[in-house]
Formats: sequence, C-alpha cells, structure tokens
Amino acid sequence: MEEVDKILIHALKQVGTEVSEDTDSIKEFSSELIVEAVVRCVRVIDPGLGSALPTSLPPGMSARFRVGMSLAQACQDIGYKGEIGYQTFLYSNEPEIRSLLMFLVEKLPRESAEASDQPTGKSVVLQRAVAAAVKAQLAVPWLPTNCRLPLQSETQGLGSLHSFQVQPLSLPYCTKGPDKKHLKELKDYQRDILPPVTAQPSHHASVVASIMEQHTAELTAAQEWDNEWKSQGLLSRLTPQEYRSRKMSRLHKRIQEQLRSAVLPPPDSSFSGARSSSDLSELLQAFRGSAPSDDILTKGTHFTHTQKFTFTQEVSAVTASVPTGRQSEGDIQLRQQEELASLQKQFEQLCSNVEQLTADMKHMTVTNTQMLDELKQTELGNSDKEEKILVKKKTIDLLPDAENNLLKLQAQVEASAKRVVNLASQWEKHRAPLIEEHRRLKEICSNQEVESSRKLSEIKSLHDKIRVSTEEAKKKEDVYKQLVTELENLPQDASRSAYTQRILEIVSNIKKQKEEITKILSDTKELQKDINNLTGKLDRTFAVTDELVFKDAKKDESVRKSYKYLAALHENCNQLIQTIEDTGTILREIRDLEEQIETENGNKTVANLERILDDYRAIRQENTALAAKVREG
Amino acid sequence: MVVLLNSLSVTDCLNLCHRVVDGFCGREPPRRADFSAAWSLEEWLQLLDSLAALFRAAVGNNSSDEEVSAGLADVGSSQAATVLKVLRARQAEIRRALLDRTASISCATLQDFDWQLKLALSSDKISSLHTPLLSLSLNVRENEALRPVTMEMNKEELNTLISSLETANKVVLLLK
Repeated sequence: MEEVDKILIHALKQVGTEVSEDTDSIKEFSSELIVEAVVRCVRVIDPGLGSALPTSLPPGMSARFRVGMSLAQACQDIGYKGEIGYQTFLYSNEPEIRSLLMFLVEKLPRESAEASDQPTGKSVVLQRAVAAAVKAQLAVPWLPTNCRLPLQSETQGLGSLHSFQVQPLSLPYCTKGPDKKHLKELKDYQRDILPPVTAQPSHHASVVASIMEQHTAELTAAQEWDNEWKSQGLLSRLTPQEYRSRKMSRLHKRIQEQLRSAVLPPPDSSFSGARSSSDLSELLQAFRGSAPSDDILTKGTHFTHTQKFTFTQEVSAVTASVPTGRQSEGDIQLRQQEELASLQKQFEQLCSNVEQLTADMKHMTVTNTQMLDELKQTELGNSDKEEKILVKKKTIDLLPDAENNLLKLQAQVEASAKRVVNLASQWEKHRAPLIEEHRRLKEICSNQEVESSRKLSEIKSLHDKIRVSTEEAKKKEDVYKQLVTELENLPQDASRSAYTQRILEIVSNIKKQKEEITKILSDTKELQKDINNLTGKLDRTFAVTDELVFKDAKKDESVRKSYKYLAALHENCNQLIQTIEDTGTILREIRDLEEQIETENGNKTVANLERILDDYRAIRQENTALAAKVREG
Repeated sequence: MVVLLNSLSVTDCLNLCHRVVDGFCGREPPRRADFSAAWSLEEWLQLLDSLAALFRAAVGNNSSDEEVSAGLADVGSSQAATVLKVLRARQAEIRRALLDRTASISCATLQDFDWQLKLALSSDKISSLHTPLLSLSLNVRENEALRPVTMEMNKEELNTLISSLETANKVVLLLK
C-alpha cells in the first residue's frame, strides 16, 4: 500500500495540495487535508463544479456537515460509484479514502500528455525561451561601460546596434573563370596581395554579413540552376554547356527585340525622327558587337551620348553667337530675341533641309536598288541568249554532212539511252540496300529516343524521390531533436521505470501466490478424497461386522451384548466426528469474527463514534443557542 | 595622367593598382596617405580616375595586351607591365563589377538589405501580445545616393510583401 500512497501523494502535490513532507501514507491524512485534496482534484477535473467548493472545513459543525454533503454530491457527479457521504470526509476510514483518492487521481487529466499534444511546437518553446531571456535581462541592472562583465556587455553593449552591411568579397574559388592563360597572374595575386576574407571588408562588423550574403547568393544561384536543369534542361537533351549557350543566345535575341520595340515608336520630336533610323542601327550594331554584356554599360549610354553631343553643340553655338557687347538691357533682350528667332528659323530650315535630304536619300537608295535589280535581270537574259547562240552555231556547223551526222547522232542517242537504263538498274541495285539501311537506322533512332525519354522520366522521378526523402529526413530529424529536448525537459521525480519494476514484482508475487493457492487446493482435494475413502471403508466394515455379529447375536447372549456395544461405539464415534466438524466450523467463524473486529478497529470506529458524539453534542449546543437566540429575538 | 605612376616603385604601383580595382569592385579605395609619392590632391584624383577608366575600358572592350600597352605608352615599362599584370589578375572581378553596374540600370536599385525579427511581448494596453514583428531596412541607391528605407511589418503584412515579391520573381522568370 505504501507505493500506492506515495503515488497518490505525489499526484495530490502536483494538483496543489499542501501535503507536509512527513506524511507518507493515507492513514495520516486529517479530515481537513482530505477535504482539501478532494476539492483540489475536483477543481482540476471539473472547474465549474469545483469552484463552488471551499478548500478548508468551516468551524461550525452544521456547516461542516453541509460541506461534506456537497463534496459527496460532487464526487458522485464526477462518476464515483462507491459508497460516499458526509461521513466519508468527516469520519474518515482509510480504505474508503484511498479508493476515493485513487478514483480522483485517475480522473485527473494527464497534464504531460496534454502538454505534448498541445502546441509543443517550436514556437511555444521559443516564446517561452524568449520570455525567460527577456525577464532575465530585465532583472540585470544597467551598468556603466567600464563596470560591465562580459556577460552584460553582450546585451548592453553597442554591438547589437550595428546594422549589417554587405560588401563584395573576393574569394579564390569563385574565380574559376574560363581564361586559363592568366592563371599565373591570378595565382600570384591571390597568394601575395589578396587579404584574408576577414580583412577584406572595411568594417569588422560586416564580415559575417558579407560572407553570409555571398554564400546565400551562391546557394540560390546553384539551386536555381539545379531546378531549371531538372525541369527544362534535362528535357532538352543537351549538355549543360550547350543549354547555357542556347539560353544566352535566346536572351540576346530577346533583349534586342525589346530594345528595338522600345526605341522605334517615338518619332515625335523633330530630330529623333530624322535620326532614329541611323541611330537605331548604330545601337543595334553596338549590341550585336558586344560579346556577352560588359559593353552594355557604355553602349547603353550611347544613345544619351549622341543626344548630349548634339545638344551641347547647339548650346555652344548659341553661346558663341552671343556678342560680348553689353549695351542697355532692352537692346540686349531685343537682340537676343531677334537672334533667337533667326536661330530658330535657321534651325527649322536646317531641320527641313535634313528631312528633305533624308527623303531624297531614301528615294535614291530605292531607285538604286531598282536599277541594280534591272541590271541583274538583263545580265541573266544575256547569258541565256549566249548559250542559245552557241547551240545554234553548233547545229549550223553540223549541217553540211547532214546524213552522216544524223546517223552518228542517232547512235549516240541510243547509246546514251542504254547507258541511262543501265545506270537506272545500277541505281536500283544500290538503292534497295541503302533504303533498307536508312529504315534500320531510323528504327534504331526511334528506339533510342524512346529509351532516352524513359530514362529521362526515370531520372526525373529519382530527383523527385531524392527531394522527398531529404525533406522527410529533415522532418524526422527535427522531430527527433524536439523529442530529445522534451525528454530532457520531462520531470524526473515520477520515475517510470521504478513503477514498472514494482508492477512487475507485484505481478510475479501474484503468480507465486497463485501457484501456492493451487497447490493447497489440490492438497485439500486429496485430503477430501482420503476422507471419503476412509468413511466408505468404515461404513462397509461396519456393515459387514454388524451383519456378522447380528447373525451370532440370535444364538449367543454374550454376542448380543457385544453387538449392543458395537452399536453404542458406532453411535459415539459418529457423535465424535460431528463434534470435531462443529469445532472446525466454530473456529472458522471465530476467525471471521476476529477479522471483522480487526477491520472495525481499522475503521477507527471508537474514535469516530466519540467524534460523532462530540459533534452531536456540538450540534445540540448550536441548536439550543439558536433556539435561545430565537426566543430572545 | 597615368604617367604619374612613374614616381612609384613597382611594389607600390602594384599595391595602388590593386587598391584601385578594390575600390572599383565596392571595397575600400586607396588612401593618399598610404603612398609616399608627392602628388597634389588634384593629381591624385586624376590618377585614380584615369586608372579606373583604363581598367574599365580594357575589360569592357576585351582588349588584348598590345592594345592596353599602347594606352600605357608614356609610362615606364616596368610600371606598364605591373598595370597589365593587375589587369589580367583581376579581370574576372572587374568584369563582374561592370556587370553589376549594368544590371542596376534603373533609377533606384536595391543595394543591400537587413532584417531584424522582434517579438513584441506586450503593449501599453495588452499584457501578453506575443506578436512577431519584422523590421526590414532596405538600402536603396537612388541617383548615386544611398537612401535607407525602413519598415516594420507583422505577419500578414510580411506575407503580402513576400507574395508580391514572388509574383515579381515569376515575371522575371518568364522573361528568361
């Protein structure tokens, strides 16, 4: 029972009952303690029900009685099946209280289980940790800089006010550029001049930020490339280099198109209309010329350069033409206006001139191309005609010896026809195997394509699997870490292993006892059998003797006497057995009664009775006092 | 103005050139006090400008050694060799810096950002708040001047920001 009591007391302490350290069994519980324990348990199990109950017994006897009644009612409401009433609390006996407390403790919600199902997530843990850290920091007094210990300078120093700023770093492994020819210079630089990465940024505080930034940038670039390669690159069936170069050319084309569409539309201003065609071509030339892209910077400003150039020219012209003479203000203004007007006129004229000239130029170029086309056509016609003339000349040369030549010609025609047939048959011969070969190759090709697409899909699924399994592994690792921290945080006082060991011991004890009980039972059965055997034997011997003696008793007087004795003996023996059995039953009854007495003694009946009597007297006194009050009132 | 290099020893010249490239790539530029030659401030600035321009032009145009040497005709041969050496050693870095400049062609570009996660435990009205707040500061370069933009967001606002950034990223991916 001690173990049970320990567990119960531990649980009650957790609920909030103030059990002193010395009490280690339920026997030592006073009525007040019992009431408090039960009320606290009820409050935890059902806060609505428990909040109406007081945790301590009131001094008045009738009030105590009422509290006991309500407590008993509350326990029954929770679901306690055993016998319960006010007497359970006021005049306690150990087994009843123990069973009640066991019931209540079992009903208690599992706090640890609840805590683990509820947000055991990291956020709660983190919030708690943050709150604890803030509380600790608030508790630390502020100290002047010179008095700070390292612990305080961490939280009170200026270090946390530094903003992180990133500066580009130069790391040797980044420069794995394609140009192998300058490797020696690069190595020299990295060996002799390049400072270590911690010395590269100008502020010491930005070292970490810079390194982290660099690494994240590289990581994201690698990931992006990885994703793209897995999603699109693999499907394109190119090597990575090919894929990259193809993408680059595509992007170049795209940029060119974008620029073209962006530059073309605005022909609204007077000069851009005139210049757009030539300027655009220059711009595009620039883009085409630039290899990957470093020139874009200078080229990108090309447009503005030319703009600037023309503007500054005009401005300088204007400033140059302003005469230095400074007469009266009005004069100057007038002059300036005149000049402005004239210059504007000039400018407009020039613009119109330029427009006209460009129009002329266009016209000229168009006519030029037309002329060139015509020239080509006539040249073609000429060569045609020359060929015709050659053929005609030959036929005219052949005319004098017409018949002979005709025959020759026919022979030639026939020979060539034969040759054609011959060649055709030869071609057929060659063609058939070639076609066969072509078909075969085509088939192989398609087979390979199928195979490769199958492999591609396999690779894709493998990639997916890898991703999924890495995610799973990560998740499981997280869960594992969380569980480990939880395990570390678990309260150690309720030693589970000790309980289980105890339970196992108890179980083994019970097994042993059961074996012994079965042994004793079999012993008793054997004994019973023996007894039955003996009684049967006795009965039979008695019957035989009785018969024998009865036969002789008719003839002989002395035998008759002995028969009588026999009967008496039998009777007496029967009586003796009866008495022994009776004694057994009585002994058993005595033992029962003794047990009953013991249990009654355990129930503190006498003390309880005395207490009941006292309480009864107290109630009567209260009643008489009340009656007196009523009478007085 | 690269002629001014002639008054430096070869090692000093090497150091100066490397520091110029450092400054060009976003790290600390050279300081006048570190170099013993008696240049006026104007000369110093001109020298820096011309060196930077030289490097930029050489890498930008992918010039060969001969072309660069032609630009350095009036400098002593050992100094010219040093400049060439520095150029070849740092070519990739200069190229990357130029690419960065080209990429940040728009009027305002994000130079740098920093974030801090704060947990508001309580406010003046609520005793237990437990609201995470993110303060994000963006360093935006606008017309050659750094302008800090600082904002504080709660979870929903941060989610909106992230989703809008993601849509922007999608658009960029479509362009690729």
